[in-house]
Amino acid sequence: MTRFFYPSLAVVAVTVMSLLPLTLDPQGYEIRILCIAMLFAALGQAWNIVGGLANQISLGHAAYFGIGAYTSTILLRLFSLSPWLGGILGMVLAVLFALLLSVPTVRLKGHYFALATLGAGEAMRVIANSWASVTGGPVGISVPYSRESSLWMMQFPTVLPNYYLFLIALVIICLVFWKIQTGALGFRLRAIKENEQAAEVIGVDTYRAKLIASTVSAAITAFMGTLYAQFQFFFDPDTVFGVATISVKMALIAILGGVGTLLGPLLGAAFIIPMEEFANSYFGASVAGLSQFAYGVILVVIILINPRGLVALIGQIKNRIFSKGGSQ
Amino acid sequence: MTAPILQVQNLTRRFGGLVAVNDVSFELDPGEIVGLIGPNGAGKTTLFNVLTGIYPPSAGQILLRGAPSGGLKPHKIAARGMTKTFQNVALFMESSVLDNVVTGGLLKNTLPEARKKARAILERVGLASIADKKAGDLSFPERARVEVARALCTEPDILLLDEVMAALTPAEMEDVITLVRSLRDEGITFVVVEHHMKAVMKLCERLLVLNFGELIADGTPTDIAQNDRVIEAYLGSSFAKKRQHQAPEVLA
Repeated sequence: MTRFFYPSLAVVAVTVMSLLPLTLDPQGYEIRILCIAMLFAALGQAWNIVGGLANQISLGHAAYFGIGAYTSTILLRLFSLSPWLGGILGMVLAVLFALLLSVPTVRLKGHYFALATLGAGEAMRVIANSWASVTGGPVGISVPYSRESSLWMMQFPTVLPNYYLFLIALVIICLVFWKIQTGALGFRLRAIKENEQAAEVIGVDTYRAKLIASTVSAAITAFMGTLYAQFQFFFDPDTVFGVATISVKMALIAILGGVGTLLGPLLGAAFIIPMEEFANSYFGASVAGLSQFAYGVILVVIILINPRGLVALIGQIKNRIFSKGGSQ
Repeated sequence: MTAPILQVQNLTRRFGGLVAVNDVSFELDPGEIVGLIGPNGAGKTTLFNVLTGIYPPSAGQILLRGAPSGGLKPHKIAARGMTKTFQNVALFMESSVLDNVVTGGLLKNTLPEARKKARAILERVGLASIADKKAGDLSFPERARVEVARALCTEPDILLLDEVMAALTPAEMEDVITLVRSLRDEGITFVVVEHHMKAVMKLCERLLVLNFGELIADGTPTDIAQNDRVIEAYLGSSFAKKRQHQAPEVLA
């Protein structure tokens, strides 16, 4: 395989994804599924920066997502502020929250880190539910709808522009991940993942590396929250700060796809989101809870076949095919 | 007279009631190759861990080129020029040999420079042919050499080697001795923990002997081989009395 294989694959993929919605109903169901899939691919990739490269398994990323969604929406409602600016402010707040959270969690590893971050995400959900005067509380909050189409206000008559916003965001986030993965920070994060003490002794400032990774990840996640708010027009604390709806799903998509790899979250989202929809539409109507059950079973089966996820699974299959023709 | 590159003053490290390093003082001159020996559990690795910042000292001072370094984080001490290899080998097992060494190089270089440096070091320590192998797939002696290469890539002034010759054949030991000597000639100061006495006696110009956390001797290999306290520590007190006035071949 030449060195141009992956770049050309990326170009083809982006081209296909750019042309695909033109064949779909711009208000239809399919295009919305694609939007959600790209949203979660981007979220999985953001999670992958800390969870994948440094193996800091965060189960609290919903905190950043919800901060992004609420910040831009509240500012839009109160001051008619553009969601672009509100989104940037949301990123700033998410970074501050990540810095604050790092004080007690940066030295934690494994289960302890996962539990601490899980708690932080839940705390944000409780706050959003209780602080009704600002967030609207458990009833939820809606984005004020205006009839005119405006990129500045991120309001469009169809879903098509939202689709392209998600696509652009996904491409940018993949580039950010790739830059980090192949750059000096990527080496440092992998060193932390594989042996933190040895990393320190050979000069890696592990605290700093983790902090940079988690703030970048937090900022990206927050902006995706803003894009989500402008796409859904309505959300509540249990959705944007949810453990199952956001935090675990982000981790799951990256882990199922292939943790620490560029392709992982893309494959994970391309697989999980449609499967979830499929399970909902086929089993959801007949027996309550069956769709969740079917979904769970499929996840368990994949993890049992290869704990390293779909990327490794594809690698296995590829090796099996190519190794028949000789080594390497 | 040159100023000492490392001064250790009354260094103590306790773990609960156990005093692993007890009131240890010594100095290192630049370019020395010093052996750190002692029975199992004497505190050799703990001393290395305190020097490199893995554990903060409980008491005492460490001066690295005159500046206090006790209690600093390991990466700060590495940046000031002191690092170590790990006795039980602590490589990044999922990464390639090259990437392990490159990570060390990032301390003082940009990524492209670190890559170049890492390749040169792998060439020098004789690992160039396995640069792309995964560290986890290597044999133990190979892993120990990657440890050395990774530490070297941080461009240290002082390198603490913790049993890098364990499990090596005599020929491989000879290679390590030659390598350490040539690196010393380029200005690196070494402290070497090694259980293989012949290799220690051959490589080191000076020995420090630890026993139950205390420094019981500091001198040339010949002095140490005749030191009663050292013989007592290694072989027991009755043996030491019996052979009080003979140079024991056991250590030489």
